[in-house]
Amino acid sequence: MLRLAFPLVSHLPARKPPPIRPRPPPARRYAASATATVSSSTSSPPSPPSLPPLSPSSAYVHLPFCRKRCHYCDFPIVALGSSSGTAPSRGEVADDPRIVDYVRLLLREVAATRPVSDDGVPLETVFFGGGTPSLVPPRLVAAVLDALRGRFGLSACPEVSIEMDPGTFDAAKLRELVGVGVNRVSLGVQAFQEDLLRSCGRAHGVEEVHEAVGIVTACEGLQNWSMDLISSLPNQTEEMWEESLRCTVDARPTHVSVYDLQIEQGTKFGQIKIQLLPPVTGHIHLFCAPQIHVLVQFGYTPGVFPLPSDTESANFYKIASKRLSEAGYNHYEISSYSKPGYECKHNLTYWQNRPFYAFGLGSASYINGVRYSRPRRMKEYAEWVQKLEDGTWSHESRSSDMKDMAMDVVMLSLRTAWGLDLQRFSKSFGKSLALSLCNTFKPFVESGLIIAMDMERQALPHLDFELDLQNEGDLGSKVAFIRLSDPDGFLLSNELISLAFGVISP
Amino acid sequence: MAGAAVLRRSARRVARQVAAAHSLSRSALQQPERLLSSQASPEHGPRGAVSGSELALYPPERVRNFSIIAHVDHGKSTLADRLLELTGTIQKGHGQPQYLDKLQVERERGITVKAQTATMFYRHNTTSQDSDGQKYLLNLIDTPGHVDFSYEVSRSLAACQGALLVVDAAQGVQAQTIANFYLAFESNLSIIPVINKIDQPTADPDNVKEQLKRLFDIDPSEALLTSAKTGKGLEQVLPAVIARIPSPPGKCDSPVRMLLLDSYYDEYKGVICHVAVVDGALRKGDKIASAATGRAYEVLDVGIMHPELTPTGVLYTGQVGYVISGMRSTKEARIGDTLHQAKSTVEPLPGFKPAKHMVFSGLYPADGSDFEALSHAIEKLTCNDASVSVTKETSNALGMGFRCGFLGLLHMDVFHQRLEQEYGAQVISTIPTVPYIFEYGDGSKVQVENPAALASNPGKRVVSCWEPTVIATIIIPSEYVGPVIMLCSERRGEQLEYTFIDAQRALLKYRLPLKEIIVDFYNELKGITSGYATFDYEDSEYQQSDLVKMDILLNGQPVDAMATIVHNQKAQRVGRELVEKLKKFIERQMFEITIQAAIGSKVIARETLSAMRKNVLAKCYGGDITRKKKLLEKQKEGKKRMKRVGSVDIPQEAFHELLKVSNSK
Repeated sequence: MLRLAFPLVSHLPARKPPPIRPRPPPARRYAASATATVSSSTSSPPSPPSLPPLSPSSAYVHLPFCRKRCHYCDFPIVALGSSSGTAPSRGEVADDPRIVDYVRLLLREVAATRPVSDDGVPLETVFFGGGTPSLVPPRLVAAVLDALRGRFGLSACPEVSIEMDPGTFDAAKLRELVGVGVNRVSLGVQAFQEDLLRSCGRAHGVEEVHEAVGIVTACEGLQNWSMDLISSLPNQTEEMWEESLRCTVDARPTHVSVYDLQIEQGTKFGQIKIQLLPPVTGHIHLFCAPQIHVLVQFGYTPGVFPLPSDTESANFYKIASKRLSEAGYNHYEISSYSKPGYECKHNLTYWQNRPFYAFGLGSASYINGVRYSRPRRMKEYAEWVQKLEDGTWSHESRSSDMKDMAMDVVMLSLRTAWGLDLQRFSKSFGKSLALSLCNTFKPFVESGLIIAMDMERQALPHLDFELDLQNEGDLGSKVAFIRLSDPDGFLLSNELISLAFGVISP
Repeated sequence: MAGAAVLRRSARRVARQVAAAHSLSRSALQQPERLLSSQASPEHGPRGAVSGSELALYPPERVRNFSIIAHVDHGKSTLADRLLELTGTIQKGHGQPQYLDKLQVERERGITVKAQTATMFYRHNTTSQDSDGQKYLLNLIDTPGHVDFSYEVSRSLAACQGALLVVDAAQGVQAQTIANFYLAFESNLSIIPVINKIDQPTADPDNVKEQLKRLFDIDPSEALLTSAKTGKGLEQVLPAVIARIPSPPGKCDSPVRMLLLDSYYDEYKGVICHVAVVDGALRKGDKIASAATGRAYEVLDVGIMHPELTPTGVLYTGQVGYVISGMRSTKEARIGDTLHQAKSTVEPLPGFKPAKHMVFSGLYPADGSDFEALSHAIEKLTCNDASVSVTKETSNALGMGFRCGFLGLLHMDVFHQRLEQEYGAQVISTIPTVPYIFEYGDGSKVQVENPAALASNPGKRVVSCWEPTVIATIIIPSEYVGPVIMLCSERRGEQLEYTFIDAQRALLKYRLPLKEIIVDFYNELKGITSGYATFDYEDSEYQQSDLVKMDILLNGQPVDAMATIVHNQKAQRVGRELVEKLKKFIERQMFEITIQAAIGSKVIARETLSAMRKNVLAKCYGGDITRKKKLLEKQKEGKKRMKRVGSVDIPQEAFHELLKVSNSK
């Protein structure tokens, strides 16, 4: 096994990247909303979700460094502390050894990873996620890109995305990143209100946000960038949310991601709750002692002040969908919006259930039908890389069965506006399963949470849908796709998808 | 005392029948049968074995059949243990305490559910003319103490001629003491009062004697003072049994006739019946028949409980023991039935009644797929508890299940507990109901055991409705009288008596609709009296009542398992409460849910559960879908546990919670 030794990563030659032209909008186009674009879409659909082809053409690279951990974050990250601010980005200060060591590990992982096939399918997308990848010196990013290119090949115009946080880069650094091949930026703005940023533990303020937007929009050679927002933050009001959306539209990114805040256990927002419930009295002859009820709580409870109520936060979601659609963005996935042609190609890999490589701490890959999540602790990850190099590690051959596969397809495709391709689905998993899925969804087609579409992606009235279902032997004579409606169906995606799970795996 | 008078009146009614039966047998010749049975073994076995020839030494005048009756925890089981030890039937310190309480549920709750018998041999030394002492055969018949089993108790008592009435020296007379006293009294038993636990620092035997005098007209000098714990005073008990309790009446030379006290199912031996031989003798190989079913059997094994099954090959007049006769199910062994010599016509012993089911509830598997398991568990359990009636029923909400009829509340509770403890069944039970009677304009009459089965819009006029009532006895420290009277009137009670049994304690007697006490009455009573109240009841007659069927509807669809029958005046309140409770326990779904309580087509309470606003996981970061998938799978599993009516998912907890909706407040 090839074992690359990099004595000093910082001495790597800054290889000249191939010139990167503004990426032409991809031919793939998604129907954004049921009513407006369902009928207008004439371009060919993206390859629909199905069993993964052999060779991945996407790679995720985890760069876990942050200045500090945000209060809502439960990702595997490494907090560097305040010493690593904007200043080192110019490379004047010595690189943080923790970053250098980590990139060295990454490179070893890349080198030790065997390409799935030798047919030379190059990578079409690379995504540097984090963490705060913009804290990593550009030449280290270049080193990783080089390693990927060397190991797997890189297509002529790949999509190379990097996540950047306001306050962690300047124009020069961005230029440098673009210079080494980065052509898409995902800017972690999250909010445009000082108080909100502070209360969720972000390491930057509003001023840095505006500054960062300025740098990104002014950067030559960078046409494709995404603005990341979080809705349902503590104390967030509808006015604040409208303001953030206005500022977003004004900044004219090609892509917007809107994440609804999730309260995760183990984060500052989701501290442990201790709850002693009263003893249960099951029998009528038991006499109930005075009830004891102790509640210790430090964190936030979803839907409870200062978090917005469920109604408010559902409203935020609807507002985003409305405002961004009005501004010309397609709502192509539950939390993603883009200008036509600017969908995140890398993320489409996920939604379409296609395979992808992943490298780095805690990252999850999907290769040969197996999903594998790397260790989330640095020490264990390093040990794992060692095993990978020694050839003493192999995927536990937990072959995912057809049910798992079908659930993945349903879960992922229903996140998208494109929806579930029923013909493909019946081909892969059987007509009867497709039919029972449709039957389960019947009431929701009627109530409008689910939209059934024909081959031309024309929405079908629910009566046509039901008629088509009665024609059992011939499912899909009319119905070709089902998708969740925007915004109501998207808002209840968990419910609807878990219903589908119940059909697939009763 | 007004209440006592009421009780005595009804006691007299029963007593007349009993006396008639007794006079018939008393007039008979009381000659012991001394013939040796050919099957009886001539020798004593090495240990505990008893031969038929030995039993022949105990003619009726050397036999005493008695039981011990007491309020729960007044020391009945400990006293029984001591008597078994005193007579060498069990060894002191060996075997488990509460020897006769064999079921887990009995030991846990300190109650007796099944009758047991134990035969003891006792040498009575105080007889003047015989220095060696006379040997006696004593049969202790342990009876259930609870009113639910009052029929079973009455049958057990019918086999006795006397009873030890055990009263805690500190707690004094309690509600069950009174109920048990009257049961014994109605059976014409000689009663030996035993004031127990005199070793306690708070013991006040004089006060108890006073109570016994006042309530039961018992001469204070008759009371024995004991401590079953320390052994004090126990030596007086068995001599008193021999001196004060008459020997069993019966005709030794008549064809065999015996009373069936209770039965068990044993996996290896089949049905084991406990019997008291009234007339004649029973031998292995005899052909016997049941008066109730007419079926005939051959006696395969017969013996005494000493204290376990001890074959003797024969049982003589007045003796108590067991019979194994090839019965396949305890359903063939009806408590109170008369077993007699086959092919002879005999007068059945008086008092036999088929089991009367007063409380009904639907039992469903907690997980729909477990129907077969539940069915199996119920089948096995009813093998040992034939007094439960079981019919299959189907509910739109709960699927396939059973409608079970119970003798009463405790019986139902015990049945549930045994299903869970002994058979590992997880059940959802519907709100318990009582057998109502509805009479229609066209003269038709229906008994309603399942409210769902009653037509919500029958299309004919209801002329009258009837519901069963009980007479409840409540004994409480006097400071709690106010709240208890409030509680009883909320439960539509009619006060029959209000007296003081001593300086501190009051006795209340109420007529209450049975329905009003089957849900949480006892808990509430305990709650408002800091646990001091004791409560007992006896079945009384049906009373006419203004009853209505109340449906619970989810999005317009009635949920059959939640239908109830309520008093018209309470309907509004109960409806509100049910609807509010449901709103709390049904989770928001993808559509609005209206929850309604309705009488016929009239909605009396309504709540709306608005549609779920959002349930979306925005993040699916870095392609790591496994966590998200796990969450969705968990969500799916959650749905699977739900019961569904129409398109509405109902969590199982909702059914459990509805059981707790009280009739009051």
